Amino acid sequence: MLICLMLASGLVANRTLAVLQTHTTAATIITTTSPQVKLPGTIYVSQEGSIYAISGAKVRRLGLPSGGDWTQPRVLADGSLIVIRRFDEYSDLYHVTSSGHVIAQMTANDQMSGKATLQLDHWILWPAIGPDGTSVFFATDAPKPAPNMSYEVDFSLWSAPLGAAFNIGDTGVTGGTRWSVPDLYTGGDIEAVPLRDGSLLYSSYANTGKGTVVTVLGLQTSPTSPMKALTTPQQDCGAPAVAADGVTVAMVCTNAGQTADLETATLAGDALGPLHVLVANCLCNSPSWSSTGNNLLYMNASNPDGNFGLWYLANATGAHPGAARRVSDSSVDLDATSAAAWSSR
Amino acid sequence: MSRTYDLSGRRRVRRRRASLKTGRRRITRGSLIAAGFLFSILTGVLLYFLPALQVALRDTGQVNTSLGGTAQLKPVSASEHLSTTSPFTLLLLGSDSDSKFNGDYLTQSMILTRVDPATKHVTMLSIPRDLWVRLCTGSNGKIDQAFLHGGAQCAIQTVERDLKVHVDYYAWIGLQGLVSVLNELGGVNVIANNPVMDDYYPADLSGGSPYDYERILVLPGAQHMSGTLALEYVRARHDDAYGDFARSQRQQQILIALRAKTKYTSIADIPTLATSLGSNFQTDMSIGEVSGLLPIAGSVPLNAITQVVLLPPYTSSVYVGGQDALMPNWALIRPEVAKYFPVAS
Repeated sequence: MLICLMLASGLVANRTLAVLQTHTTAATIITTTSPQVKLPGTIYVSQEGSIYAISGAKVRRLGLPSGGDWTQPRVLADGSLIVIRRFDEYSDLYHVTSSGHVIAQMTANDQMSGKATLQLDHWILWPAIGPDGTSVFFATDAPKPAPNMSYEVDFSLWSAPLGAAFNIGDTGVTGGTRWSVPDLYTGGDIEAVPLRDGSLLYSSYANTGKGTVVTVLGLQTSPTSPMKALTTPQQDCGAPAVAADGVTVAMVCTNAGQTADLETATLAGDALGPLHVLVANCLCNSPSWSSTGNNLLYMNASNPDGNFGLWYLANATGAHPGAARRVSDSSVDLDATSAAAWSSR
Repeated sequence: MSRTYDLSGRRRVRRRRASLKTGRRRITRGSLIAAGFLFSILTGVLLYFLPALQVALRDTGQVNTSLGGTAQLKPVSASEHLSTTSPFTLLLLGSDSDSKFNGDYLTQSMILTRVDPATKHVTMLSIPRDLWVRLCTGSNGKIDQAFLHGGAQCAIQTVERDLKVHVDYYAWIGLQGLVSVLNELGGVNVIANNPVMDDYYPADLSGGSPYDYERILVLPGAQHMSGTLALEYVRARHDDAYGDFARSQRQQQILIALRAKTKYTSIADIPTLATSLGSNFQTDMSIGEVSGLLPIAGSVPLNAITQVVLLPPYTSSVYVGGQDALMPNWALIRPEVAKYFPVAS
């Protein structure tokens, strides 16, 4: 009996240490939201290749085809979605219903060409619907040199008619309109936001010539016009999102540091007003607005070790925004690089 | 009476002796039981830390392989540097430890780090792997070859002689070790500076031919990175305006993110971390010094970390010895390095 107790004490000591170990549990799938935050409409978020629709406190998973490790949803006026599905070495654009049923696959970027010419594959990311609802804007790594000719691969901004499939090749997008020429070897131009007046706001990465690559918010009035920088390289601002008022721009600025600020500014013509910090020293990313109001969603991790969750700021266009509130549970880790899409339906 | 007295006295003595014997037996039995419990608990603790001890005896400062290849025993020091307020330097070495190299590793990453526990300040200097220097062997070559020719001691001697610094410790980690440790720690939260793209990223850890390529894309902004994604972020270099320099900056960024992780780890995590490192880690620090480093790293505030990269004019591109290399401008480098890494007189 005593020997058994001794053996048990050894086992207890061993297991106690095991319990004290920092447990890095796998991220929880989002199934519910914080009970104190019930937002109107439907919010679509991305987690590990799936899209989840949040309606009030209820969460449902869209029935997308299996596969893929990252997604990016955007809501169309009729309530359907356009969705990026990202795989290991390429991504594609889909038109899906609000339940996730595929209506159409709009690109086919897997060339099925094997490892020898995998550079023929392409990325398509950050889709955005044009102001008249008939075109889609996006970033893609086209044009780029033929395989084994150069290491160059950077994002350019393009638009294409919505509703028809289009082809992305090494020379460009068939039937598409090219909007930007990237600064090579920086990552290029991304996150297009088409504005009501036909101009385009986006994040543009640039080589400073001093050992750093920074991003500025760029504005173009037409596909061929030069880009006007709205922020400075020192501010290092990206991820623009324009509110329903058409003039308030939310963005994330790092000021070349290891943390970020979530900020807003007012766009007046081709100039941006002073920047106002909404959330300072955060790991904020991917701001997005409610389709009808001035409420802001964004991704953030509450501490350097924490999960990325969906956060909400009411009245973010006003002089007195509400307090930041976490929408998703702290055990849930969402894809912080994929902005939530907020539908009024 | 006297007999009676004698008898009762003897009886008392006998009783006392019997009582003493019983007491001694009880004490002995109690001691044995306590020792049994203690032994059992210690065995449980020892078994828990056994993987860490095995790795420690193999990879930390117990055995120090010198330039000539002979093994020298280094006594386990009682963390004299780390328990005081004295600054110390640590040379961090990272190698592509995949099957292409058969154990003959170059150091793709060399980061000289100075930690000042008193002021809680850390300085990180990335030494370009292509820096053309006089190696410890006496011949000229890229600094990444020093480790190949004479292991860590040659790398240390080369860095000390060329940069005129003193190196207190070194730590070497292989690719797979970095991925495993990051995964064991649950990944890191990082703000990716720009889209990091590479159509010719080595697919040497995915089990196929180590000479295969794959396409990778790390999205910009704040996000949670797994070990594999973090490795892609720090290793990709082909589509990068600053190639190896940018990669060095990203490596420092991941180290800073890891520093934040140390706040959330405990001594109970050491066996799992040690097991995950396997043969992908070497250091000349003792177990006490390694465990003493963790709380220091965790206490350093973000704004007390200085990052240094030797961009032009400190270095210039040259073609020498039949290969592309970086020629150091020692007249500029050494005063700058001396400023950040003063050698105690």
